[in-house]
Amino acid sequence: MKLSLLFLLVGFLVVLLQTTFLHLLPLGPIVPDLILVLCVYWGLNHPTVGAVLGSFLLGYSVDVFSSPVLGLNAFAMSLVFLAVYLSSRCIWIHSPLLSSAVVFFASWIKGAALILVGTLFFAVEGLWIGVLKYIFLEALAAAILAPVVFALLRRGQSLLEEVRMPL
Amino acid sequence: MLAFLRRNQVLLTSFVCVLFSLYILSAAARGHLSRDPIGPLLLGLMRPLQIAALGTIGKLLELQGKYMAFKGIASENERLKGRIVELEAERNRLLEAEATNRRLRELLDFRSQLPPGAVTAAVIGNSASTWFRSFILDKGSADGLFKGMAVVSPVGVVGQIVSVTSRSAKVLLITDPHSGVDVMVQRSRARGIVSGSLDSGPIMKYAKRSEDIQEGDRLITSGLDGIFPKGLLVGTVAKVRKKSFGLFQYVEVALAVDPAQLEEVLLVSAEAPGPKK
Repeated sequence: MKLSLLFLLVGFLVVLLQTTFLHLLPLGPIVPDLILVLCVYWGLNHPTVGAVLGSFLLGYSVDVFSSPVLGLNAFAMSLVFLAVYLSSRCIWIHSPLLSSAVVFFASWIKGAALILVGTLFFAVEGLWIGVLKYIFLEALAAAILAPVVFALLRRGQSLLEEVRMPL
Repeated sequence: MLAFLRRNQVLLTSFVCVLFSLYILSAAARGHLSRDPIGPLLLGLMRPLQIAALGTIGKLLELQGKYMAFKGIASENERLKGRIVELEAERNRLLEAEATNRRLRELLDFRSQLPPGAVTAAVIGNSASTWFRSFILDKGSADGLFKGMAVVSPVGVVGQIVSVTSRSAKVLLITDPHSGVDVMVQRSRARGIVSGSLDSGPIMKYAKRSEDIQEGDRLITSGLDGIFPKGLLVGTVAKVRKKSFGLFQYVEVALAVDPAQLEEVLLVSAEAPGPKK
């Protein structure tokens, strides 16, 4: 229960950061995707039904705040969670470098999902043009931040789990 | 059966979420999504937090400014340092007040040139994604805003409202690849659609090869899209390229407005909101 509350608060915080403070970073149009990092963390370290719904809701919140149509990011984040969850059943990922790599590849999955859906449902002209550069930069920013975010989340998770353990 | 469901509950829920989001997408794409129960709740919850965060950002920037002012005057005595900081803070306050005053006066002047019913709103949140260019305003349907209103600044066109709740509104910026503004070249009256692109910045689409378009030409709204009033400045032509094939020429646009710098905007409507269907 406490853990779910922690993740709920982290979710809110991440959306708030992404709509306000992260725009102050001198990265031009690139906004580091902490929401993606959180979804990847859940897929790797906390694969529960609540985490699936959390990923969907985080994507949905990005749609509410940014996307012209609902469902785009909800789809992308759900897909990212699914891909990370499936890969985590095959590979044991625990080092910061590997988690960065997973976040990097997850960012590409998200980018591909957004392009695919944009092309199929909305026939957005020219979405392919120059998009690789954006995906790469966004994936790089997320991958750089991933070890720090993962360490903080692991710390929070272990603290709560320690409290929960019987004496 | 129950054991199978329990063992694969995460996988199954993930598939359901993917399918459900595709259903939402499909409904939204066909315009069948009439109600969004979560969006207004999320926007309502985040609104005070975003306003508080923006206040904090302002304070942090002020602190940074003070820190920068302190740097490099270490050799001066304490009395003078204190006096300088006081004066600096006072000056910053006055400059900020003057800048705000000037911006608001410009907005007021500009508002008098627009159709009646123009509303002023402040930007309280930015896009949460690299992929979309949008921001959130502090006013909503309770203040007379509605979907499809044009968002402008005294310098030029900013974008349009794509969704609205009672206390906030989402603006799709002109720099977003999904946006489109019907424009014409002020000099030659050549027409096209200005839209954002992820690659090279905004471009003017569907400008015929035969049209007379030159670098430096001013682009204004044509008023034919029913969203933006006619004659608002959109930007200038930055680059024109005619390939040896194709119906259209390639036109890059330098926008008059940098949406990242905006703090207040004006909302206007080419027409009053119609009855709800």
